[in-house]
Amino acid sequence: MKRRYGRTVEIALFILPFAAFWILFRLGPVLYGFFISLYRWDPLGDAKFIGARNYLNLARDPRFWNALVNTLEFAAMAIPLIVGIGLVLALFIFAGRKRRVTTWLEAGFFFPYLLTVSVVGLIWRWLLDPDFGIVLLTLRDMGIDPPVFLNEPRWALPAIALATAWWLAGYRMLLFRAALEDIPDEFYEAARIDGASSPRVFFSIVLPLLRPAILFALVLTTISGFIVFGQVLIMTAGGPGRASEVLAMYLYRFGFEYLEMGQAAAVGTVLFLIILGLTMVSFRWLGYESSL
Amino acid sequence: MARLRVVPVTAAKLGPRLLVAFAAALALLWVAPIAWMFTTGIKSAPEIFALPPTWIPQRPTLDHVHVVLTRWPFLRWTLNSVVVAGTTTVLSVLVSVPAAYAFSRLRWRGRDAIFLVFLSSMLIPLEVNVIPLYFLMNRLHLLNTYPAVFLPMIGMPIGIFLLRQFYINIPGELDDAARVDGCGNLRILWHVILPLSRPALAALVIYMFTFAWNEFFWSMIALSSPQMFTLPIGLRALQGAYDIDYGVLMAGAAMAVLPTLMLFLFLRGSIIRGITMTAHK
Repeated sequence: MKRRYGRTVEIALFILPFAAFWILFRLGPVLYGFFISLYRWDPLGDAKFIGARNYLNLARDPRFWNALVNTLEFAAMAIPLIVGIGLVLALFIFAGRKRRVTTWLEAGFFFPYLLTVSVVGLIWRWLLDPDFGIVLLTLRDMGIDPPVFLNEPRWALPAIALATAWWLAGYRMLLFRAALEDIPDEFYEAARIDGASSPRVFFSIVLPLLRPAILFALVLTTISGFIVFGQVLIMTAGGPGRASEVLAMYLYRFGFEYLEMGQAAAVGTVLFLIILGLTMVSFRWLGYESSL
Repeated sequence: MARLRVVPVTAAKLGPRLLVAFAAALALLWVAPIAWMFTTGIKSAPEIFALPPTWIPQRPTLDHVHVVLTRWPFLRWTLNSVVVAGTTTVLSVLVSVPAAYAFSRLRWRGRDAIFLVFLSSMLIPLEVNVIPLYFLMNRLHLLNTYPAVFLPMIGMPIGIFLLRQFYINIPGELDDAARVDGCGNLRILWHVILPLSRPALAALVIYMFTFAWNEFFWSMIALSSPQMFTLPIGLRALQGAYDIDYGVLMAGAAMAVLPTLMLFLFLRGSIIRGITMTAHK
């Protein structure tokens, strides 16, 4: 009996350091954030309980809907771009894996992932500068009349999505490459003996076996899509007008520029629910088959 | 071992050489923005805006580097980043190792349920929590200090997830033998498990360090005085004052990237292996 008690204490002590940080700075804030979202917070320190008013204010604010639509648009462009490019790059790297040079190619594709978001934002702002950006100059040299990406409402978000794909695709590439290596050779050999064409092999064998990896990449990328902030802040600051103002930026501005902390916290809760919902949908859609 | 061959089947038609050549061209295009950042940082002001643009600086200059170093506490930002990322990494390894051990090598009631609860929080990004974290840090009088930045990054479930995956695959006979010899859990963890799990530890260190080194949104809110900025926040401040001075901006960005690039060139293999492990599921 005593021994058993001692064992429980020991297990608790092993977990406690982690659990303490997790409760205080991860779980705690989610609940605290919901609590804050039910109040109107005065910058001078007074708080008044107003129930769901912050949420109603959000629902009535066209600017919130604009930010929500922009976020969805960004996600709809960025997620397929990031996951798709990641998959294509992984297939390239996997195909050429017997050559030494491919390890360097892989390094090249992966490196942008190690950059901090402000570097990514600054580089692409410079690349896409309306007057001297190398991208626009090159396109003009080729006889194309390109839109002034970051200054045009229709093009700002796609341009940011492209920059984000450049930044994040490399990590998905590693993920898919690892999954490709896990597919046993026998599968391909069997398919070969049966005379399957390569598109057939890809769609009937490779893609289904990549499902867990694709699910993981999709969940991961969905989250990054919905919390996009730094790139937007640096490349367009939400502009032109509010054409690229996304939810995280709305949250930041309401919280720290207009000091409407309660309303900003409500946006945080909304973001949390969106991410939770989408994750559950993608689990259902792609099957719950990871080792979670 | 002959590994086959999905794309290679296509490749056989295309010619493998052609495929690699195409991938190489794509890779060059992929790193071109980084090269462009480095060259812009050492171009003279008129050359930056010269038409047609020049890829190789005609008269390289360190003027912009000088501006970044003298008008901005750039070295202090670097130091802050090292302190924040280093502390985050060390502390998250310290708390994750025993927890992962309890979740993998010990048997107890409710273990898997509790683990699942921790794990599901992996999906909560730091970003949705910035308002409550701001209130919390304000109450703890920690705003604008290092702990405000690193505390929320320590309890990240990726740590126990990654280590647990690794610990589970270590044969149970090893600690059974140690237990027969009278070793307690702590000694088993220290003398048996830890030495065997170096790759997983390396992966966790690489993951946490890059994560903390690059963190942006929360740091921007938690840190208010330029002396306390980390590199990502500092670079943004650079932009605020020099909206159009791409020379200074690119010099600053390049200086922030240089250490990462150097490390990556030296430790390329282990960084890619480490990151791949965090991706393995």
